[in-house]
Amino acid sequence: MSIASDLIRGHTDTIILAHLMREDSYGYKINKDIQLKTDNKYELKEATLYTAFRRLEGAGYICSYWGNENTGARRRYYTISLEGRQAYFKMKEEWDEAKELIDILIQSGEEKEEQNGR
Amino acid sequence: MEDKLRAYMDHLFRDVKPDRRSIELKEEILQNLVDKYHDLLAEGKTQEAAYNIAVASIGDMDELLAGLKQELPASRVYDDERMQVWRRKSALRISVAVALYIMCLLPPILLSDTRFENNLAPALMFTLIGIATGLLIYNYMTKPYYQRMDDSIVEEFKEWQQQTDANRRAFRAISSALWALIVVIYILVSFWTFAWHITWVIFLIGVAIEGIIKAVFELKR
Repeated sequence: MSIASDLIRGHTDTIILAHLMREDSYGYKINKDIQLKTDNKYELKEATLYTAFRRLEGAGYICSYWGNENTGARRRYYTISLEGRQAYFKMKEEWDEAKELIDILIQSGEEKEEQNGR
Repeated sequence: MEDKLRAYMDHLFRDVKPDRRSIELKEEILQNLVDKYHDLLAEGKTQEAAYNIAVASIGDMDELLAGLKQELPASRVYDDERMQVWRRKSALRISVAVALYIMCLLPPILLSDTRFENNLAPALMFTLIGIATGLLIYNYMTKPYYQRMDDSIVEEFKEWQQQTDANRRAFRAISSALWALIVVIYILVSFWTFAWHITWVIFLIGVAIEGIIKAVFELKR
């Protein structure tokens, strides 16, 4: 699990952008969606999440605004910019490429033979 | 428990300058924690457990907080320096101006009973008054305004203070101009009427006028 979370953490930006592609959202909701999607196997630390928000904001990929809930809770919503969308597609493409290469590279000889023999 | 979460965040942010960005970030993360806390309660956790889980989920804030501290502006020192320079120069200018006001009486005194009494003496005197008044006005006009260097509340307060200060400054400018004018009127009237025994009343009138102006300023505020 720790290797997996390290790997996932390296893609925090892509994950956040992916969530914002659908709709504007705020920190806790994004984190909760991540938890639900991964069946409670993965969750971002607040520190990681908000560091990523600041980084993405700095890069101009996302913008924030304060929502006005009636419940009294004041939430900062994030919305993705055009640059952010472009960045998302680029990041996703890069990941797909990397995934393919890693799959090839980490296959051991035995598995290969198995595959060939099939 | 929400208060406890708030207290925890306050503790985390204790070394961070409370500017708008850091306060908003703190508020944002706190809201996140409160949401999480309530969700955990809804899942059936005890208050204690929910608090502990929420706090544990924050993680290592060092990088985020360092990012906030980093952007302390270096230019404020520079601005304070400019103010210091102005203060030093201002003291000198005001001293010279006051000296000139006092010395402006010298030409009429020294040149009395000479043939310059009626033209050169007053001319010299008014020249001195003019230079002194000019110095004072120049001095106040060159005073550096406080420009906000970052978003912090302290800076906003200073700016606000400056703005209310602008009123006081306007009053001071009017006041110094008023006194220069009074001196001129006093001397003009005195030379014109030669009623030196009574013309000093003009100064009393000046004090009264200044008082009225001050009252008007106070009322406007």
